[in-house]
Amino acid sequence: MKFGKFIKRAVIEVVIARNSHQGEVADNKLSEKFREESAVIYLHPNFAKKMGFREGDVVVLERNERKVNVRVRYSETSPEEGGMMPNSIFSNYLTDNLKGFTASISPAGGELSRVEDIIKKI
Amino acid sequence: MVFCTGCSCLCPDIRIENGRVYNACRKGSSIFNEKKRAKPTVNGKETDIETAIERAAEILSSGNVAIYGLDTIPIEAQKLAIGLAEELEAYIDDNSSFCLGDFVEMILRGEIPSTTLDDVKNNAYVIFYWGTDPYNSLSRHLSLYTYYPRGGKRQRGYEEDRFLVVADIRKSHTAKLAKKNARFIRVDDDLKLVESFIQAMEGKAPQYPDVARVLSEMKKGYSVIFGGLGLKYGLNGRYEEFTEMFRRLNEITEVYFIPSGFHSNMRGFNELLFEKTGYINRYSFKEGVSKAEFEFSRLLIEEKIDSALIIGSDPVNSLPFEVSRKLGEINTVVVDPLNSLTSMIADVVIPSALTPIGQGGTMMRSDGVRVKVEPLREEEWTDVKVLTSLKEMV
Repeated sequence: MKFGKFIKRAVIEVVIARNSHQGEVADNKLSEKFREESAVIYLHPNFAKKMGFREGDVVVLERNERKVNVRVRYSETSPEEGGMMPNSIFSNYLTDNLKGFTASISPAGGELSRVEDIIKKI
Repeated sequence: MVFCTGCSCLCPDIRIENGRVYNACRKGSSIFNEKKRAKPTVNGKETDIETAIERAAEILSSGNVAIYGLDTIPIEAQKLAIGLAEELEAYIDDNSSFCLGDFVEMILRGEIPSTTLDDVKNNAYVIFYWGTDPYNSLSRHLSLYTYYPRGGKRQRGYEEDRFLVVADIRKSHTAKLAKKNARFIRVDDDLKLVESFIQAMEGKAPQYPDVARVLSEMKKGYSVIFGGLGLKYGLNGRYEEFTEMFRRLNEITEVYFIPSGFHSNMRGFNELLFEKTGYINRYSFKEGVSKAEFEFSRLLIEEKIDSALIIGSDPVNSLPFEVSRKLGEINTVVVDPLNSLTSMIADVVIPSALTPIGQGGTMMRSDGVRVKVEPLREEEWTDVKVLTSLKEMV
């Protein structure tokens, strides 16, 4: 998958929020659906386009030497200059609190991170 | 009709016919679907439930213990968990310590006026969601209790008989509903929004100009502010200004507060512990007091506990990784009907029944109203039976 030609790495504020799609699959957190609904960053379309990220791209979020590969989804409900992630093991791998965090975002390609891989680090 | 236990709305009108679920939201429907259930394990090996409980009792019988979670199990089970913590002189805490517990405590101490969702449905004109997105977190809140229903004095529908206010850092799905007879306030500083109300009441120009219009609508009568996690974190512990705003609003009109969010029975646990100890969470039965440092996350980070009983919660999914990493270093007993992520790192897993599928009991809505949940069927190992057995063995 190719990325846009604009910014290749940026630092953004990520808000953590609840999401009813994710809640739907909360009973099976090892399922592919849970991963697709949780390893995700919602970006405002205008912001994402400005940075060169397209819907469906896999990006890496990095903070304090921890990295998570997540999928970009467009949502006008996201902050206009930042991102939003559902509360899950993926957002919690990067944050110190339940409100949000600052992380770098850059193209990753490849696969989304897996729940099992984070659990192994516990 | 059965109650849904998907969130603190505790919707009372769920119908199940021929395996199909009616009236539930997306999240609620998932409660009633067939699920892969947890199996009893000790050190990752499957065993029988009695052996798992025996090993759990051994783990919990020595060292410093914390009991954590509790927000999705019935009040009858919560009572037993509190009793177990007392017997073990353990710490006890739930999600409310980082969630909306502060607001529940303010209500229980009479510092802010509250009301019931039934009264909101019948009376409320201004419906104000502050730092919360019920469209996602409490999907039927607006349709069942607050904005859309007609009832009592509000018979003309939301277009005329309700005024919707949404204050959020982002234009959430709930904020998108704020069109006619409504205001969306994009908040970058919640304390400034609190100050704006005080400024508007003093006749000054508020820092958030929309507050002047909101206040004039509030003066028309019964208003309710539903506060969520965004508000809690935005206030950053400075609740004096917030309670002062309420005090002054209620000098000129009628404004109530109901916490918006949290698990199905968080308030039940908070009220039970409050009745017993005078505190709602972060309690040590050894010291007989509640302190910020007794929050479950801090107990782990500061290495104050040797073992934990996790029931009705999945902290490995929902708490910061550093907390999970520390949880992995101590002895952990998980009681859960499903295979949670926490059960993957637990020393002992004890499967229990899921409310309302295999167990019933009393649950408390976000507004403090108790409901009696009837089970679809009775399973043998309910939370009450597991905790009773544990209590007998420790």
